[in-house]
Amino acid sequence: MTPDTLPPPLGEQDAESPLRPEIDPQDERAAVDPSLFEPPAGAPPFERTVLTTSLHAAVAAESRVNRWTRWNGFTVAAWLTDLGDEYRALRGAATLADISPLIKYRIAGRDALAFLDRLVTGEVAPLAVDRAMHVLFCEEQGLVLGDGLLFRLGDEEYRLVTEETHLAWLMDSAIGFRVRVEDVGDTLAAMSLQGPLAAFHLSRAGLAGIERLQPMAGCWAALAGIPVYVSRTGMSGDLGYEIWVDPEEALYVWRHLMQAGAGFGLYPSGVGLRELARLEAGLPRAGRDYLGAFAAIDPVHARTPFELGAERQVALVKPHFNGRAALVRLAAAAPPRRLARLVVDGLEPARFVSVLADGRPVGIVTTTGFSPALGCNLALATLDTGALTARLTVDAEIRDELAVRRVVLPARLVDEPFWAPARRHAVPAPLTA
Amino acid sequence: MAWGGRKFDAIVIGGDHNGLAAAACLGRASLRVLLLEAGDRLGGAAVTAEILPEYEASTMAHLVEALPRRIERHLKLSKHGLRHAARDLPTVALDRDGGHLVLPRNRKDVAALAGTRPADAAAWRVFDARMKAHVALIAPLLFDDTASIQPALRRLVWRAEWRAAGTLADLLHLLPQSIGDLLDAEFEYPLLKGALALDAVLGSVDGPYAPGTMLRYLHRLALRGLGRGYSIPAGGLGAVTDALAAAVAAQRGEIRTGARVSRLLVEGGAIAGVETADGTAIIAPLVVSSLGRRATMLDLLGAAHIETAQVRRLPATAPAGSVAKVNLALDGLPDFRGLSSVLCGARLLIAPSLDDVDRAATLCAQRDIAAEPVMEITIPSIADPALAPAGHHVMSVLLPFMPHDIEGGWPARSEAVLQSVIRTIAQYAPDFADRVIAGDLLTPPDIEAKSGIPGGGLGPAERPCLHAGAARQATPVPGLWLCGPGSHPGDGATGLAGCSAAAAIVAERRAR
Repeated sequence: MTPDTLPPPLGEQDAESPLRPEIDPQDERAAVDPSLFEPPAGAPPFERTVLTTSLHAAVAAESRVNRWTRWNGFTVAAWLTDLGDEYRALRGAATLADISPLIKYRIAGRDALAFLDRLVTGEVAPLAVDRAMHVLFCEEQGLVLGDGLLFRLGDEEYRLVTEETHLAWLMDSAIGFRVRVEDVGDTLAAMSLQGPLAAFHLSRAGLAGIERLQPMAGCWAALAGIPVYVSRTGMSGDLGYEIWVDPEEALYVWRHLMQAGAGFGLYPSGVGLRELARLEAGLPRAGRDYLGAFAAIDPVHARTPFELGAERQVALVKPHFNGRAALVRLAAAAPPRRLARLVVDGLEPARFVSVLADGRPVGIVTTTGFSPALGCNLALATLDTGALTARLTVDAEIRDELAVRRVVLPARLVDEPFWAPARRHAVPAPLTA
Repeated sequence: MAWGGRKFDAIVIGGDHNGLAAAACLGRASLRVLLLEAGDRLGGAAVTAEILPEYEASTMAHLVEALPRRIERHLKLSKHGLRHAARDLPTVALDRDGGHLVLPRNRKDVAALAGTRPADAAAWRVFDARMKAHVALIAPLLFDDTASIQPALRRLVWRAEWRAAGTLADLLHLLPQSIGDLLDAEFEYPLLKGALALDAVLGSVDGPYAPGTMLRYLHRLALRGLGRGYSIPAGGLGAVTDALAAAVAAQRGEIRTGARVSRLLVEGGAIAGVETADGTAIIAPLVVSSLGRRATMLDLLGAAHIETAQVRRLPATAPAGSVAKVNLALDGLPDFRGLSSVLCGARLLIAPSLDDVDRAATLCAQRDIAAEPVMEITIPSIADPALAPAGHHVMSVLLPFMPHDIEGGWPARSEAVLQSVIRTIAQYAPDFADRVIAGDLLTPPDIEAKSGIPGGGLGPAERPCLHAGAARQATPVPGLWLCGPGSHPGDGATGLAGCSAAAAIVAERRAR
């Protein structure tokens, strides 16, 4: 037998839950839960199975078109009925989506604050309990490794939610700190309720007073008698909430929300809509719009926070954090590239190839999409700083059945997010559309 | 506190030989130095203590192997009381039947070997010339202080080109090998092979057949070339510590014992001083730590002040020490069968064959001890009669390959180990067991606790590397320097790390 197939030695097995050893909240050593890398009990080794989230049964029941895609290794719905219908629900009423494949870390211990303060570029100390902030973290050269949402759950307990895995970096960063870093992806399900009627649907489902929750704040609540953590966060650029719940009870929460909202336009949706909404909100995504510093083989494709337009999240006043020395140097000069939001007028969806200024390529397009509400093509692109003031055009491909037309379309830069209604910050949140 | 409000130019943390050497060198560069030692005495592994009243011995390290003459002269150690009772000790490999072997140091010794073992004597001449050529080639690389390796490598290639074309090829062929394989190929005489193998791996947990022990051996030879062979200081190794401390005091440096530094103070990204365990803050723009790099950066400075990438690059924790020490008080000189009285004061090795050394290493890896351990013995009271009452002697035995966490635990095993040491020596000196008045065994954990040095500091436990560079003494934090184990290739009791750190600091101050 190879070591992989050896049964675990006796005594290491936990009688109650063989899969997931009980987590000791007092344990402050950074450690990887070995069960993350073990096949489920009873499964033959090297068996390849489709990895699904705990909400898969509910999502699969809603799927009318059988369109699946993968996200961080999980099989998730690309869309469930029709992307246009889901989009209209998102912008006009509300949609509910499974976002469990997001990477979630629990960071807890006496030095959790000091650890995070060194890890991320922003100031963590002012973050109050039950609040969230958007954070970036860099390596030594000031190149961004990833970004994410940092929740403060308790005095010494945080949750970091990211698009990509960063466990190795977090573990290495934890050396010398009394802090425990755990990947809680398996023990935490998440769903996202977004749209102008999101607050209405939550209050209808039994969360009275949810409209008074501040943006980027969270609270513990009960849905259908199940404890959930509700945070007013999301990637849609609109009013929206994310619901964090135990995976074993996630299905009940989903069903409860869908039943309560059935007659009021609540639609289930997939990740295709999440991408489109994120583009309209102008939010770059790790792995798509920029590469983490360790993922970029050619360092040209790694980005500094300044190139991502995240100057406000870099607190150079902090005495020390990862990449500070390099960022102080970088802050002195204008970044050579910059992430920009592009609008290309025209009523047909087009696929952009490159961005030109006076016929010369000046940048790459990383995300494109056609916004039905705005009636134009949108894109996130990385452009040379010098070209930001020039007249821009994009090389586009438009498909007509089998034929492909290549056209050059005029493009313009937009400073503000494409979709940013005032209600996303309103307190109390509107209960009607 | 007494030092509150006093201003210092530099604070040295740790009063072992490296810390003391750094403090003395900085003092000579006219800096006001404060040395803080956590324990209540200086010296680390270089101390002298009583076994019984009137019987004194070097408690831990017992030979000065490679105190560079450069340092001895620069710090005027002889003026500060350092006397060598015996210099350039010969090494004798003991034979159970009395046919002891003096490891050849000169032509006369080789001729003596040729009388009994002509083939081995011829092989020795070739081996010796080969090793000398290699040491001459890589010693400048080993002790090179510049951060970049390229110039040093370029010089190495030029030197090799200039000497003999085959040397460099032979060196590159040898370096990754084990000393055991080479000895097997070159020599026949088990005693010679055993002694050379023990010489190469003493202080480490690597057996003679472990890959890379060739580099260990060359490193040893290179270190030895810095000093003047093995010597016994008058008054034991503690005398070296005392002389270094006197050198510090002579430069108006201040030494405080019992002052444990709990953390380093950082202001604006640079070192501002230290805080001791009792909460006193001492301000100085320069801090030199003789603790290991990892301990200094993580425990004293704190990971919050350095990059994750820099933490990643920190060396792993020092390997646990594997050397034990037995100090014995004797009521007379033991009669080693067939050993002339002149050679009794030499460095005596018990390593009957290469296999014995290898077996000891294998057993050590299995957390056990050989029934007849290999060892290095000195009787310092022959050269320095003041250590024991007239006619009486003290014997100092260094035991390599003693597992740090022995099977069954040291308290249960130490008496048996002590007895096995006495029994083993008694096979060479039949009257030995009756001569022992008192003795004590310092286990590897004891040595670590007493010296305050992780790994014990007896012999270079860490694997040497070919080129260290000055980058090892500097740290990413301005004003913080390292002079401890791992910050200079010359680990062993050389004080080189301290002196080269001080030299680097002075050079940097001059550049500013």
